[in-house]
Amino acid sequence: MAEQKPSETPRPGTPGPGAPAGSPPAPKTGPGQPVPWEPVLTAAFGRPSSHEIGDYLSRGGYEALRKALREMTPADVIKVVTDSKLVGRGGAGFPTGVKWSGTARNPAPRYLVVNADESEPGTFGNRYCMDADPHMLLEGMLICCYAVGIEQAYIYIRGENLRGYERLEQAIRQAYERGFLGRDILGKRGFNVDMAVTRGAGAYICGEETALMESLEGRRGQPRIRPPFPIDVGGGLFGRPTVVNNVETLMNVPHIILRGAEWFASVGNPGSPGPKVYCISGHVNQPGIYELPMGVTLRDLIFKYAGGMQRDQKVKAVSPGALACQLLTGDDLDVTMDTATLTRPPYFNKMGPVGFGAGGIIVYGDEVNMVDLMVQISGFFARESCGKCVPCREGTHWMLDMWRRIQAGRGTLEDLDVLEDVATRIGGRKTLCALGDFAAGPVWSAIQRFRPEFEAYIRQGARARERELVAAG
Amino acid sequence: MALSQEVRDRIVREVFPKYPTKRAALMSALWLAQNEQGWLSSETFDEIAELLELHPTEVAAVASFYTMFNRRPLGKKLIEVCENPPCWVNGAAETKRRLCQRLGLHPDEAHGHEWLTTADGEFSVRSTECIAACDYAPAVQVNYRYYGPVRPEDVDAFLADMDRFFLEKEGSTPAYGAHEPRFREERA
Repeated sequence: MAEQKPSETPRPGTPGPGAPAGSPPAPKTGPGQPVPWEPVLTAAFGRPSSHEIGDYLSRGGYEALRKALREMTPADVIKVVTDSKLVGRGGAGFPTGVKWSGTARNPAPRYLVVNADESEPGTFGNRYCMDADPHMLLEGMLICCYAVGIEQAYIYIRGENLRGYERLEQAIRQAYERGFLGRDILGKRGFNVDMAVTRGAGAYICGEETALMESLEGRRGQPRIRPPFPIDVGGGLFGRPTVVNNVETLMNVPHIILRGAEWFASVGNPGSPGPKVYCISGHVNQPGIYELPMGVTLRDLIFKYAGGMQRDQKVKAVSPGALACQLLTGDDLDVTMDTATLTRPPYFNKMGPVGFGAGGIIVYGDEVNMVDLMVQISGFFARESCGKCVPCREGTHWMLDMWRRIQAGRGTLEDLDVLEDVATRIGGRKTLCALGDFAAGPVWSAIQRFRPEFEAYIRQGARARERELVAAG
Repeated sequence: MALSQEVRDRIVREVFPKYPTKRAALMSALWLAQNEQGWLSSETFDEIAELLELHPTEVAAVASFYTMFNRRPLGKKLIEVCENPPCWVNGAAETKRRLCQRLGLHPDEAHGHEWLTTADGEFSVRSTECIAACDYAPAVQVNYRYYGPVRPEDVDAFLADMDRFFLEKEGSTPAYGAHEPRFREERA
């Protein structure tokens, strides 16, 4: 296993959140990029009134919208967003400009849907963003509506995030009062936008864009067959061409408009540039969100920003983008954490990309028993499978049952082969949505990378089982 | 218990105009009904179905898909403990076990997202999936408000004074982002 220690640069000041105004900009940036770095998306975090429209306006809020309406055509806006190389921050990493231009080409009425469902274990950046700076999201949405020609936008927020829902409702009310929503916005004739927030009610699957739209339409949140895609007639919300964007994706847009595509493209890894709100949790000393240029290494995230490992454990496994990603090991600490790197070889295999997801890194130290962890991971996907596609509905429960059997000391070495086989029959685009891949990836990758530990556990099965029986009385 | 006129009015006047179809008002209508009544009865489904011009079975089919729509009454305070890996590695399972123990509940009696309610009707406890507060693991919600971290050793303090663990205090935004080194302090 590679030696695990932080890189030699000292830990920089906290990257924005909670930092007093004018605190020194911290970290240098991604690999070999000497761009000075100050947080952009989380700059206002920690201020008591950061969610109020007055506060947002006092720090230049809605200036990007003014600029777009005064100086740019909708086509100009789409071009800038395309040139910036912004890709979706929700997990799929689709180029935002391409999505917008594709939707704009299709006939009106069109819709914008903001995916604020953030349910992936290990991700919590959107929650903070909407809580602290909801107007930045609204401004990004308005610019999208102008560029694509949209008059109605919906934010679908998960039911558990009640605070975020309240903050968004308040922000929308304030925006109507100040003339940023409604008819002829900012005096621009014919630029009309209405917004509404819809609360989900506890279903992981509703973070999948077609399931989300089903839920918004008042149905069970089960994915739709594609094509037609959401951007097409027949595929989007209420059958209309629809842009579905993640919260963080849209929050980048005002900054791209104000600072230009070149600025954005120069931040971090050129393959998938821009600022990123990394979420890091698990066995680290300082879990939290860290806004950094895309492409920071896993080692720096853990040891430089998140304060290293609890009780000085060694890094055993990492879910790099959130729970749904394939597991990495303590040998992978030098990988750069960005969409481009984690979706291409060597981080692409027969099960698809390892995945960067929404940037929620879960770190597991060597105190973790991998069998117990796999019961937790497979349990999550078994409970959250929506039941529409057979491989996922049946397979997730089979995998969970097998992990439980192994955990109880009744497993056999052949079980590992069967698990691997079942995983390859669920994953690899055999289901309508990615949940199948999400459930299969961690299982398949765990067996590739931790097989010796599983085998040792199974061999000790009889003894382990005996202990459990004694413990259970 | 019939829906109040106020809820019916809000569904018609506030929710319907937001969407091009009446059916799309369903999620909001279910929330309004549940917020008033605490849970969703079959009679409530009938009433909502009539308002939205749906079959009651369709309403029930949708409501039962979502774990936050309750089909039976629960205690005054719903305590939900996240047990997904970021919380689990920080002791969430033991937190929930102790919580149940202190409240006289038997966690093994509940499966999946089912909840258990104390005899006095004060508390209901259940496991939940990730609530997007992994930086305060083990994270807990009480009536959908964020609390944490509630480690196993914090359970007594939490039950005695939940405010100490409250993460949404008014007047000050929670400590965003780079947090104080909680775990490191403890070790010292």
